[in-house]
Amino acid sequence: MNDSKKKETIISAGIDIGTSTTKLIISRFTIMNTAETTQVPRIEIVDKQVLYKSPIFRTPLLDSSTINVAEVEKIVRSEYAHAGITASQVETGAVIITGETATKHNAREVLHYLANEAGDFLVATAGPDLEGIIAAKGSGAYDYSHRTGKVIANIDIGGGTANIAVYKDRVLLGTCTMHIGGRLIEFHEQKITSISPTVQKLLAENNRVLQIGDSSESPNVNFVVRLMAESLGRIVNNEVHEKDLVLLLGHLPNWTDKIDFLVFSGGISEFIYKHEPGTDQRSDYDDIGKDLAVALLKDEALQSFTWLEPVETVRATVLGAGTQTTEISGATIQVARNELPLKNVPVYHYTFGMNLQNGLENFEEAVKHAINMYDVRREGQNIALYLSELPYMKFRDIQKLAAAIIQVMEKRFDPNLPIVLVVQTDHAKVLGQTLLAMNVKQSVICIDQINVEQGDYLDIGRSLESGVVPVVVKTLTFHSS
Amino acid sequence: MNEQLIEKITKMVVEKLQSKNLKIVDLPKENEQMAVTLFQETAGENRIPEEKVIPTPLGDVKFFKTTVEEKKPNNILLRTPTKEDKNDDTLAELRKKTPARIAVGRAGSRPKTSTWLQFRFDHAAAVDAVYGEVPQEILNRLGFFQVHSRVMDKEEYIRRPDLGRRLCDESKKIVKDKCKHSPTVQIVASNGLSAKAIEENLEDVFLSLVQSLKNLSIDIGTTFYVDKGRVALMDEIGEILQPEVVIILIGERPGLVSAESLSAYICYKPRIGTIEADRMVVSNIHKGGIPPVEAGAYLGTLIQKILKYEASGVSLVKKEG
Repeated sequence: MNDSKKKETIISAGIDIGTSTTKLIISRFTIMNTAETTQVPRIEIVDKQVLYKSPIFRTPLLDSSTINVAEVEKIVRSEYAHAGITASQVETGAVIITGETATKHNAREVLHYLANEAGDFLVATAGPDLEGIIAAKGSGAYDYSHRTGKVIANIDIGGGTANIAVYKDRVLLGTCTMHIGGRLIEFHEQKITSISPTVQKLLAENNRVLQIGDSSESPNVNFVVRLMAESLGRIVNNEVHEKDLVLLLGHLPNWTDKIDFLVFSGGISEFIYKHEPGTDQRSDYDDIGKDLAVALLKDEALQSFTWLEPVETVRATVLGAGTQTTEISGATIQVARNELPLKNVPVYHYTFGMNLQNGLENFEEAVKHAINMYDVRREGQNIALYLSELPYMKFRDIQKLAAAIIQVMEKRFDPNLPIVLVVQTDHAKVLGQTLLAMNVKQSVICIDQINVEQGDYLDIGRSLESGVVPVVVKTLTFHSS
Repeated sequence: MNEQLIEKITKMVVEKLQSKNLKIVDLPKENEQMAVTLFQETAGENRIPEEKVIPTPLGDVKFFKTTVEEKKPNNILLRTPTKEDKNDDTLAELRKKTPARIAVGRAGSRPKTSTWLQFRFDHAAAVDAVYGEVPQEILNRLGFFQVHSRVMDKEEYIRRPDLGRRLCDESKKIVKDKCKHSPTVQIVASNGLSAKAIEENLEDVFLSLVQSLKNLSIDIGTTFYVDKGRVALMDEIGEILQPEVVIILIGERPGLVSAESLSAYICYKPRIGTIEADRMVVSNIHKGGIPPVEAGAYLGTLIQKILKYEASGVSLVKKEG
């Protein structure tokens, strides 16, 4: 039928600003209609090709608590030039601030500045759980979990944090983040130059002392990395002790399955797998990174698992951010083009429980509650309504639903904001058109075939030639802490 | 036993099997490791799970277990998967991907009773769809008048496709008199090979399509219904009414997966002699395929594109580049 085998490509960028290193990746997605010619189109990403991988840069800092924005931007611009692209060509992708860098006082500002400057639709992401999820996708652990059907934990250890994400058959089972990383103790000329507060606390709890100026060969350094490895082993086995709490950042491990395999990614795993040329010396980073890798390799609890080699080590997160965050909406949707892109819209999930009538009865109350919840300050924060478990719907049912939506959207503190709907079933186009036919005064963005959940944040990009929109869902499912 | 009775009994048994399928029974703890996996997850609308027939003494009328035991989803968390589990998972995965009757098991060299009954049931539904009639009530509700092709009865309809492609003389006159001349879009409905498809889907596709065209400010002619029509009937209608686009909503040849699937055939300026390559189709419109309401919404934008390029089918693909 129409444009059935026509291909379209979009450029995606991934930028990872980590505790110790910053890197960038450019890839190209090929999008085409995979439906048979007599079917309604189904537009999918059929190929992802990495075009350019930047070198690993040290994350530029102004001082210990400020990221050097100008330098970061310079890196991004010069790497774009090396890759032969311009910011305006970047149609999707994500910027992620990870590890300790996320705690810098200007982290938020940097993130949003870069997201706006470095591409047409670049999504800003942060949060320890999301880091773990994105790293697991970039390291290959996510795919391994599908191929093997086993429970796989991806442990991404960088300069500041270890981000664990557990997957089984591509389903996220849980996450956990720990204060384990290379830069928690730093050296200069074999002398300790900085010790992170967490490590100080850890040492104090064990009645040991380490000070600035001590030798980098101090047995206490070895004690710290060994303790980190042991603690990680217990967390992976879901046996959390009192003494591990100091190393935990946020919530306890929240998966219940027994883990079968481990995948290590991140800068520390580079010392184990050596994918990058010339990073084999501890002096490169002048921190406990290499000692930590050695401790992981020696730890019995960790060694009792089978380790799978990641497809990327230090670049796992940036690869995940650049290639695994974008989804494509269903092909039959209704979107007001002038309202896109739309960023950081919180998702409210409303389920109809397969019964339209019952669902509609509580609809208004529930959405009103959601509006109050997400727009606490009543300043007009929009929400995306995710409508799930709709029954089989006749045309008149769609009209009823549309009428209810129009009514409830008036309850927003700023009723003129666009109506953003995500429908689980294939009904986005008819629902959107019905709203328009009812002369709704707001713009309508109604998409389907995207998996979102309560508490996720949604970014919707501009329409592509094939009529679909790229969507980035920022899952914060486990962000309960 | 007469045929009707057999069919009735078959239907009753199948319905009973289906109703059991809905019951989810908590499995007692000691049965966690039970090796039997019942085939629950299927993509088909009316597929039923494999059922164990319990041998009963002669004269006992109770043949089937009244409940279906199902593994609780969280049991998966408790057990370590064995090779067989993995295998079952793989089959379940495959079954989810298709409504076809795959991995349904067998009893000796023949299909299992429930599989066989389901097959008979689906086949009967397909036959019914061909020989059934569209209830007049639906046409009245939508305000369609009815005309006829040159076919006299169903047997002739099947034997003589050529006669299904033309309107009878009287119908031609009616269409000419009653319909708006030279509309932008002429919508036609016909039972084709499945009256059931029209009965189930016509209203939703039509209302959604009309809404979509109205949103796009595209002018619509007078819609009517042709009894026992074929797709190429649109050529003669094109000649009579001279519309820009004809869209015919017609029942598809029923299969064993669905007997109520509707197709929408569309053509830019169809006239006698139009070649097949200029027609295009959106098929598989039914409950288990493209939802009828969504199909109507999509068809509206597809017609908009056809009008923009002044072409349909292969010519449209060429013009689009």
